[in-house]
Amino acid sequence: MKRAAIERTMLIASAAFLLTVPWLVPAIADRFWVSVIAEILIWSLLAASVNLLFGYVGLLSFGQALFFGFGMYGVAIGVEKLALGFWPALGLGIAAPVAMAIVAGIFAVRLTWHYFAIITVVFSLIFYFLALTMKPLTGGDDGISFTLPAVFKFGGAEWGFASATFQYFFILATVALCLYALRRLLGSPLGKAFMAIRDNDVRASLIGLNVYWLRLTAFVIAGFLAGLSGALFAFFGRYASASYMFYHVSGEAVVWAIVGGAGTLFGPLVGTGLFILIREVVSTHWQHHALIVGAVAILIVIFAPRGMVGLWRDFMGRWSGGEK
Amino acid sequence: MNAPANAPILRIEGLTKHFGGLTAVDDVTLEFAPGRLHAIIGPNGAGKTTLFNLISGFLPSDSGRVFFAGREITGLKPHRISRLGIARTLQVKSVFHQLSVADNLWITAQAQRGVLNPFRSTTSYRETCEKVERVLEQLGLAALANQQAGTLSHGDIALLEIGMAISAEPKLLLLDEPICGMSPAETARTVAKIRELAQTIEIVLIEHDMEVVFEIADDITVMAQGAILASGSPQAIAADERVREAYLGRAEDEDYIEEPVRA
Ligand SMILES: Nc1ncnc2c1ncn2[C@@H]1O[C@H](COP(=O)(O)OP(=O)(O)OP(=O)(O)O)[C@@H](O)[C@H]1O
Ligand SMILES: [Mg+2]
Repeated sequence: MKRAAIERTMLIASAAFLLTVPWLVPAIADRFWVSVIAEILIWSLLAASVNLLFGYVGLLSFGQALFFGFGMYGVAIGVEKLALGFWPALGLGIAAPVAMAIVAGIFAVRLTWHYFAIITVVFSLIFYFLALTMKPLTGGDDGISFTLPAVFKFGGAEWGFASATFQYFFILATVALCLYALRRLLGSPLGKAFMAIRDNDVRASLIGLNVYWLRLTAFVIAGFLAGLSGALFAFFGRYASASYMFYHVSGEAVVWAIVGGAGTLFGPLVGTGLFILIREVVSTHWQHHALIVGAVAILIVIFAPRGMVGLWRDFMGRWSGGEK
Repeated sequence: MNAPANAPILRIEGLTKHFGGLTAVDDVTLEFAPGRLHAIIGPNGAGKTTLFNLISGFLPSDSGRVFFAGREITGLKPHRISRLGIARTLQVKSVFHQLSVADNLWITAQAQRGVLNPFRSTTSYRETCEKVERVLEQLGLAALANQQAGTLSHGDIALLEIGMAISAEPKLLLLDEPICGMSPAETARTVAKIRELAQTIEIVLIEHDMEVVFEIADDITVMAQGAILASGSPQAIAADERVREAYLGRAEDEDYIEEPVRA
């Protein structure tokens, strides 16, 4: 089989698996794993936002949890305090992180490398502590729980996240749509401009690219992805909490993206899946599961600097190269 | 305002740049007439690259002004200057190393248009894609089109840099040691290419290879310690005593000039 054929087969098999999860998984294992897979899909968007910045524009952000948190709070405050329905609350859960990304980006993308990383951490810390103190709005440590609004109402019938199957497919469709849009973006002039900046920002400005605006654009798109991830997670967990804005969460997303394969479309999903599965499998037996996470991360960074997807590509390259 | 036909394509007035205590470019005033191939020569550290950095907006000048085709460009950002029609290559060769050779040319051509549509595929831009094909053919890089630029040989990277400069379709091209690191065959090909380009694009060339400079330049400017030492035709420069003493070294006979030793 040719390499392209193998990869297409794998893609189709993965898609078939993901489309049948709500029936397949309970048949072979506990129903609990359906929600683990939904959770993986949600968090993969946060990793994808790190990846867009780091893998395609060359900016390493340790602050993406800020936008995740704004997405969560946008939804929770929308539903609980403003009595919004599902769609307006989702809208608020997207608009709030995007607005935050514009503000943070205006300052952050003037800087690069560790300065950029530091300012993203500083921003997320400021808002983390603000969220902790603004108890009436954010619920502080306890966060905000809310009752789910329906997604669609038709006549007397209702569809919403109360149904695990509906919830799963809503999440799957959203993530699939985002990955498709990212794929289109990366094959577009804007995507090529991003990659040019990643490779060589000096040269990029000399060929006429406005590096500042392009970085800001990428930062806002990444804020959108992280925010959407948080908004979905709020509906998924029916609550929002400041703890998800802590830079620890940002750091995890960086590890997921890099281990999965920064600069590849599916790397973040693969990395997120790996680490959440490790967490779910190991943490029930052993409380120090973070050690395994650390060890896997270090091994992959040393032996596969382009992550798991990069490792796979090298393997396929050698294998199909040897076949000629 | 319409500039007269023989108005200088580039005019520099009293341009100065200090790095700490060092004056890298010292009150330089220069005019580049259109339709002629200009070369800037001078020993290492003379300030040639810094002069390019000031012209292309890559470094801010301490004082002085730059006019391009009659329009003042002093203090503009590099991408604005690039879009006005000034392209340059860098002395330390620099391309987009993870992009393919074709994509390097593609984004350089497209960047000049300003609009970067996120909803259209790069392959749907017929005009830009055809331009890329043309440049690949012209430079003999077609076979390497899909190779990652970072994996190219030094000579091919230098060629790609020139290709990128061409893809931008500039009015003025600043070349900083374009043949440095090239094999004799590549040098010959590149020199021929520069000559051909000079028919349609204004070119200013920094080069250490005296044979090449005296072969292709119409005008030569000599820089030393940040200042202009002399400026004129190759014959005038070759005959200039100060230039000989300060820079070119001992001439063995009238038209042979030794290549300066590089640091
Ligand atoms: N960014 C910078 N910061 C500090 N000093 C600089 C900088 N750029 C250049 N210089 C100094 O300015 C002087 C002029 O350097 P420049 O690179 O312009 O010389 P050049 O004529 O291009 O030399 P070469 O032929 O070696 O390329 C040198 O002494 C150099 O060390
Ligand atoms: Mg130089």
